[in-house]
Amino acid sequence: MLLEINGLIKYFGGLAAIAELDMYVREGEILGLIGPNGAGKTTVFNLITGFLRPTAGRIGFGGRDITGMKPHVIARLGIGRTFQLNPFFSDFTVLQNVIASFFLHPKSSLWGAYFNSSIYRRNEAQIAEQALAVLELVGLDKVKDDFAKNLPHGYLKMLGIARALAIRPKMLLLDEPIGGMNRDEIDLAMKAIDKTRRQGITIMLVEHNMQIMDIVDRVVVINFGQKICEGTVQEIRENAQVVEAYFGVEDDAER
Amino acid sequence: MKGRYVSKTVACACLVAILALVPAVVKSPYLLHLFILVYAYVIAASSLRTIAVSGQISLGHAGFMGIGAYTSAILAKELGWTPWVTMPMGGLTAMAVAIVVGYPFTRLRTIYFSMVSFFFGIGLIAIYTLLSGYTGGFYGLTGIPPLFLDSKVPYYFFFLALTVVSLLALHRFESCRIGMSLKAVAQSYAIASSVGINESGYRVLALAVGCFVVGLAGAAYAHYIIVLSQNTFDVLASINLMVYMVVGGIGSFAGPVVGAAVLVLIPELFRGLKEFTPYVYAGVLILVIFLIPQGLVGLYQPAKSLMRKLRFGRWCKRAP
Repeated sequence: MLLEINGLIKYFGGLAAIAELDMYVREGEILGLIGPNGAGKTTVFNLITGFLRPTAGRIGFGGRDITGMKPHVIARLGIGRTFQLNPFFSDFTVLQNVIASFFLHPKSSLWGAYFNSSIYRRNEAQIAEQALAVLELVGLDKVKDDFAKNLPHGYLKMLGIARALAIRPKMLLLDEPIGGMNRDEIDLAMKAIDKTRRQGITIMLVEHNMQIMDIVDRVVVINFGQKICEGTVQEIRENAQVVEAYFGVEDDAER
Repeated sequence: MKGRYVSKTVACACLVAILALVPAVVKSPYLLHLFILVYAYVIAASSLRTIAVSGQISLGHAGFMGIGAYTSAILAKELGWTPWVTMPMGGLTAMAVAIVVGYPFTRLRTIYFSMVSFFFGIGLIAIYTLLSGYTGGFYGLTGIPPLFLDSKVPYYFFFLALTVVSLLALHRFESCRIGMSLKAVAQSYAIASSVGINESGYRVLALAVGCFVVGLAGAAYAHYIIVLSQNTFDVLASINLMVYMVVGGIGSFAGPVVGAAVLVLIPELFRGLKEFTPYVYAGVLILVIFLIPQGLVGLYQPAKSLMRKLRFGRWCKRAP
């Protein structure tokens, strides 16, 4: 198991956002975390990545207890993530957005950076090259010098993935990676996610758009902060409880 | 791109060279005094911008200037050490205090950070009053050993050198990888920490560097002015520093430099108006904020294109 969550509880005031959640993610798989609005999916992400502290429970990553660690420490351990809203540094160009995310693995110290050591200069050149390679992977190399705030929504989502990839993660948490995208963008995004997985990066994603199910290996369904079932995509589709809690609503809402 | 960078460097070097020639032409001690004041406040406002780059507006920055000034002045006066040793110690003390208060302060963001830094500035004044045995309290601190005797000219060169070195150091801090991480933190602390940037660590770092530089400037100021009054470092002074930065242009490195130079000089230039001087000052602030929101450096591009147009016009007339 790459990621193991045991007895996770999170209270917001008196409200239990996550109530006794147990789940795991296997190395190399794409796990879909689904559930109705307010089920606690994004809360799970924030708990795993350290943006929230759990009230109780344990989160293990690669055999290490990461419960309650700070977000940047968890990022250093190899968990990358994207955000649902505003997933970018707005005053940076696309390329700068990715470059700023590459500083996790600097080869030179801060002093080296300040005094412009030769290691630092070489490292900066490498980073610029690698950042371009990541942008090519997600198909954003053509707009690398555009300011992030001027990009259309679909590109921004891809930029979020590019930035998360820049930290060379073992595992990637994607919060609605194809939400609000048009058909072409969805194709590109799914291809990029698939390519990422083939590089050996484990992926856990939250998504409402059921097209994502084509590339998902396994699904965990949560509602009211509790797991209601898990299994392959096929098993989930046939589960009456899930259809009631989730797919039924989704069908009506589909335009 | 490279050519432009070089030409900017050349322009800055020329400016420094011209400023270095000023004492040869300007003999009035009063004018030299104004230049020295401008230098001190250019350093202070620029170091405030270093903190602002990390997304924090400090409203207690003059307080840190005061820590540097009082530390250096008291050490030199009470222990008889040479100011050349106590001035760096003033800067280091300001930095040490910044690091100690920085950890709790940087837990707060945006306006809350500004408020707590404001209260810190008020608290410092109370501490100076409390320690009036050393600081002189309301009556001010006198008998500070000067750096140089007799003339203002060595002071002029000392402050010019200090300004050039400080600005180069701050510029490098901002333009290398550290600066990019600071800007990332300023734009979104959540995203910054999701890519492994220790956001609170970087914000303390920016605070520490800014406070070291301003502490050094304060210490140099103390050994120049020789008499310290605690009003020089109160919250109004902090707000003035912020105004220099904003009016000059918070978005560019040159902003606080231009802002401090212009706004320190305005009250002096319009001294003849006596009690109406503050109105001129206020008028300039309002005009700048309404007409050039990027600050005074926002005039650079239009001025450049105007120059180009004028030259082009003359060239047109000459052509047949």
